[in-house]
Amino acid sequence: MALRGWLMAITVALIVVSLGLFLRRLNTIFQVMRKARPARRGDHLGERFKSLFTNVVLHRRMFRITYSGVLHYFIFSGFVVLLIDIVETIGEVFFPGFTVGRILAPLVDIWVILVAIGIVLALYQRIIIRPARFHGSDEKDAYLILGMIGAIITGIVIHDSFYPFVAREVFHVADPVARSHFLGYALSGLWRALGWTGPRAASIGYTVGYLMDLGVVFAFLAYLPYSKHLHIFAAVPNIFVRNLGPKGELVPQPIEDSMAIRTFQDLTWKDIHDLYTCTECGRCQAVCPAYAAGQPLSPKMVILELRDALNERIAWGTVNDPTQPALAGGVVSAAELWACTTCGACQEACPVFIEHVPKIAGMRAALLEDGNVDANAQKVLVSWDRQGNSFGQAARKRSAWAKNIDVPIKDARKEAVDWLWFVGDFAALDPRVQRLTQLIARLLHHAGVDFGILFESEVNAGNEALRLGEYGLFETLAQKNIKALNQAQYRHIFTTDPHSLNALKNEYRKFGFHAEVMHYTEAFLTLIDRGQLAVEPVGLTATYHDPCYLGRWNGITEAPRQLLQRLGVNLVEMPRHGAQSFCCGAGGGRIWMDETGIEDRPANQRIREALALPDVRFFVVACPKDVSMFSASVTAMGVEDRLRVVDMAELLAVAVGLPDVAESDLRSFPNEAGILS
Amino acid sequence: MRIAVLMKDVPDLVEELEVEDGALPLDDMSFVPSEWDDQALEEALLIKEETGADVTVVAIDTGEVDGLMFTALAKGADRAVKLAGGFSRRLANRQRGAVLAQYCQTQGFDLVMTGVQAIDDLDGQIAGWVAGNLEVGHASVVRDVRAGADTVKVVQEYSGGKMAELELPLPAVLGIQAARKPPRYVTVAKVRQLQKTASVETVDVSEPTAPTLSVRKIYKPEAAGHAQMWGDDVDEVSEKIVNLLEDKKLLRS
Amino acid sequence: MADIVVVGEIQNGVVTDATQELLTRARDLATARSRSVAVLAFGKDAEAAVKTADADEAVVVVDQAVEEYNPGVYEATLVTWLTENPALLILLSNTTMGMDLGAALAARLQIAMIAYCTDLRIEGSSELATCQIYGGKLAAEVELPDRAVVTVIPGSWAASGRSGIPMVHRFNAQPSPISVVKVIEPDASGDVDITRADILVSVGRGIQDPDNLELADELAQAIGGVVSCSRPVVDAGWLPRSRQVGKSGQTVKPKLYLALGISGAPEHLQGMKDAELIVAVNSDENAPIFDVAHYGATADILDLMPALTEKLNGRNG
Repeated sequence: MALRGWLMAITVALIVVSLGLFLRRLNTIFQVMRKARPARRGDHLGERFKSLFTNVVLHRRMFRITYSGVLHYFIFSGFVVLLIDIVETIGEVFFPGFTVGRILAPLVDIWVILVAIGIVLALYQRIIIRPARFHGSDEKDAYLILGMIGAIITGIVIHDSFYPFVAREVFHVADPVARSHFLGYALSGLWRALGWTGPRAASIGYTVGYLMDLGVVFAFLAYLPYSKHLHIFAAVPNIFVRNLGPKGELVPQPIEDSMAIRTFQDLTWKDIHDLYTCTECGRCQAVCPAYAAGQPLSPKMVILELRDALNERIAWGTVNDPTQPALAGGVVSAAELWACTTCGACQEACPVFIEHVPKIAGMRAALLEDGNVDANAQKVLVSWDRQGNSFGQAARKRSAWAKNIDVPIKDARKEAVDWLWFVGDFAALDPRVQRLTQLIARLLHHAGVDFGILFESEVNAGNEALRLGEYGLFETLAQKNIKALNQAQYRHIFTTDPHSLNALKNEYRKFGFHAEVMHYTEAFLTLIDRGQLAVEPVGLTATYHDPCYLGRWNGITEAPRQLLQRLGVNLVEMPRHGAQSFCCGAGGGRIWMDETGIEDRPANQRIREALALPDVRFFVVACPKDVSMFSASVTAMGVEDRLRVVDMAELLAVAVGLPDVAESDLRSFPNEAGILS
Repeated sequence: MRIAVLMKDVPDLVEELEVEDGALPLDDMSFVPSEWDDQALEEALLIKEETGADVTVVAIDTGEVDGLMFTALAKGADRAVKLAGGFSRRLANRQRGAVLAQYCQTQGFDLVMTGVQAIDDLDGQIAGWVAGNLEVGHASVVRDVRAGADTVKVVQEYSGGKMAELELPLPAVLGIQAARKPPRYVTVAKVRQLQKTASVETVDVSEPTAPTLSVRKIYKPEAAGHAQMWGDDVDEVSEKIVNLLEDKKLLRS
Repeated sequence: MADIVVVGEIQNGVVTDATQELLTRARDLATARSRSVAVLAFGKDAEAAVKTADADEAVVVVDQAVEEYNPGVYEATLVTWLTENPALLILLSNTTMGMDLGAALAARLQIAMIAYCTDLRIEGSSELATCQIYGGKLAAEVELPDRAVVTVIPGSWAASGRSGIPMVHRFNAQPSPISVVKVIEPDASGDVDITRADILVSVGRGIQDPDNLELADELAQAIGGVVSCSRPVVDAGWLPRSRQVGKSGQTVKPKLYLALGISGAPEHLQGMKDAELIVAVNSDENAPIFDVAHYGATADILDLMPALTEKLNGRNG
């Protein structure tokens, strides 16, 4: 009886101490969350549970990297099965004769094997494969945790192997499941051979196993919230409270004072929760275009820097001390923050739904309020404020592209139109893109579409102003556009610019503007499918680049592909496509910023990705910024003869057979591609 | 130290300038702060950061100067003063200089700073007019203003890249060529917030009696010899440049 | 007492081209209206420099205090002399000195002021000035009032080359509390001298990003020239001041001036419009640079630079 009493006492002590430490830590974090800004994440419960199922039980995002997905699934499920072992083991001691039955018991052993495999795989990954995404992560902690998990599963097998002897000799109860714990049973053969089956030897052996299992479990419990492995507890709730609003909506509510993030109180409680959910897997870092370009930004490090600063301030009781370094420019450097293209690949990759971009945008806002902004970006901000466009051109020039073409373009402010076209800055004012804009006007005219534009009443949509952290300017621009849009009469609205699309569709909701805004690829798909636009297959092989603000932020990946199919394009996908597309490097205001520090432009990397595809001569884009970014890369890399950047509008023009297009607009198509024959 | 920064807004040159009956329809045009005045303000704010000087922005109310003044306040100016007297957009610099000098006289500023020029300085630059009216020392085309207790040191720029460091006793008037740093950005929200919390002081002033220039007409200059244009095609243009170099024997052999 | 006073500038012992231009037009106006011309100049070289000037009278101010330009001393001296000798028309070049003293003199003398003048002429009974305004985008035609200070943009008209035998007398410098602490000569700092280059590849705001300077460097190398720039590029810290062309930089007269992404502010034009051949590329077809350029294009300079470099290298190699 002495053994039971001793084990019961130590178990109770372990529970009280570890749970106490655990809860104390959680409470500290909870207090920080309570002082943080609000975030509404309690709606759509059905969808939230569904998301838990796909992302926790099915591990959907985890399995995007098969190796890690498998090993994580082994270890993750091991934790679930570990509960059976804990109940059984504590039960055995506190309630003599307790068993979990012959069905559950062998599960424990099966999972001990799976977890052991998981640990071996994890060690192999960390020691031999060494993925770059772990760079910057706390690897020591990873080994510590893997060691603890190893100790637990070893403990399980050891105490199971001694339990038959302890049950018989010490507790004097039956052990009907002894053979079910097949690993322990196998090991018990060794003790028999050694003669370690007496009450004394069995007690010692059992205690060793018991402490390796439960002792480590409770030590683990106490240690977890101080380590990155708090994700074991935080991941599930974090996935539950993920953002279910429109993905592309950076700011859900109109902001009264400021969106600037200077202190931890300026983060939302979800942001704080994100920090403790991160387990440093680095999947965000692996997909980040800024990181790939050699810039100082890694989305993972942004989260870790914030978390480490918060932990330090919690330890010193300085969370609310205003003299601590600011988060923006102090904890996270200005260079990191301004490097972000807001492409959202990090958020898309994160298995636990951490939201990096809103934190970065908020910290940018703080930098901006202090006047710490790239000089060129500043010029663009001023131009938006004064002229309403990033080109610093007179507002009246916005419709200059419409002057030299033989297509009547209605003024949607003055007469009702069927389709309202929100042109966007680049499409309207970039000389390289203007000819594409003209093509689209001619295509619409050819299709007999009754369309119009807002002329100089249209201003930049504000998507990038907001992402540069300039909320007030964004709001000013949005209100100007909404005023013009409300005055216009139209049945459908579409835009040539994914960035404008994102703002109109997702960011204007908070000001009461709700319209089904379409991208021009969607609009033309509709026109073709309605029979308004007859197309001849162009018969070429091409790859398609999903713009971040179309594919990832707005989930529009199918319409462009269907359009390509209608146009008779044989699509060869790049490895990174759809929601996993790779940013051209222009987003989030980056297109205007100093490129110092960029070692390998994201757009060049993307072109190399396309060049590696067999037989692909055409790189199809559907975003005005992509036209200029990728054309520049192809020229800079000197691969004009191997790859040609074409806009969807050019393909449409050829497929439709617009007169004089072949001579004027598509003369640089390589003839051997057969497009013009 | 008390610094006055004299600011004004000018037509936005980004807009196409349309001349009607030999004059500019100023009332229909959009205005932006004169870029050199922005430089002067920035330099003054840098001095404020270094020495704790008090910065007052002064503008003559010729229309919509509130935006410019609140922006200056949001950037860090301490006070904004608008001199009102029913002035029109066409107020000439000689008159502006008199009005501004009159006001500065009453305020006893140590340092008066303004842009070295503005795009509409038909009748001379503000710095000279104000200094001449105040009869105090002044220097234009200057930068790198270092304010001491009784004097101010500046760097004046000359042609050919030559420069000189000058020392002027206070009070003094400076026409600023460029600030040490590019003018700072201020967010729209901050300007709006200042519009709610701060105010622009209005001081009534009387119209000076100095005569104005008689401008016969404003017109778009006929390009004396406008360039022969080659269009925008990169290949064509580079071909033409190479041919031209060849013609003029400027190609390296 | 003269009717027209030219405030002269002396450089390297001689009257500057800009001052010669003022003297030329002063004499034209004086002849038509039977008036006299005086030139006033400062420094120990002044007397030798102005003794053959086309003026009726030459006033030289020789004093240690005027050896270097000092706005205080110059202004005090001019105000004193002009008060004693009231003139109808006072001409200054639109240099730093003109920008510095013009309006202040007008204010002190309580007369009118006309700036950025590009032409002075007689039309019937009126005397007219043409002035540049709005960065050279517009011109204004102004009637000269009875008395005025006029600052003239250098190079607005040709100097006649006429000389004269003015009556030379001296005037004392007037004191001022403003002092010249030190003179900073142009910082060559081992950098190339853009005034000696035959070909200048000159870049402006249109270069957009310091990284793009590499394109200009490569082009300059291919073409056998040197990179120069307009003021904004220097202000941004992308190129040293020694590379700046314009009023506050160098005045250049190369065989070819290739202006890339330079809009052509008057201050810049002042420094390069005498180049033998000017080719300007700017996306804005209304840019004033095209008014002084011989050839122009609206191509994108970021595309053009590498394309041109390639063409040139193709020929050279």
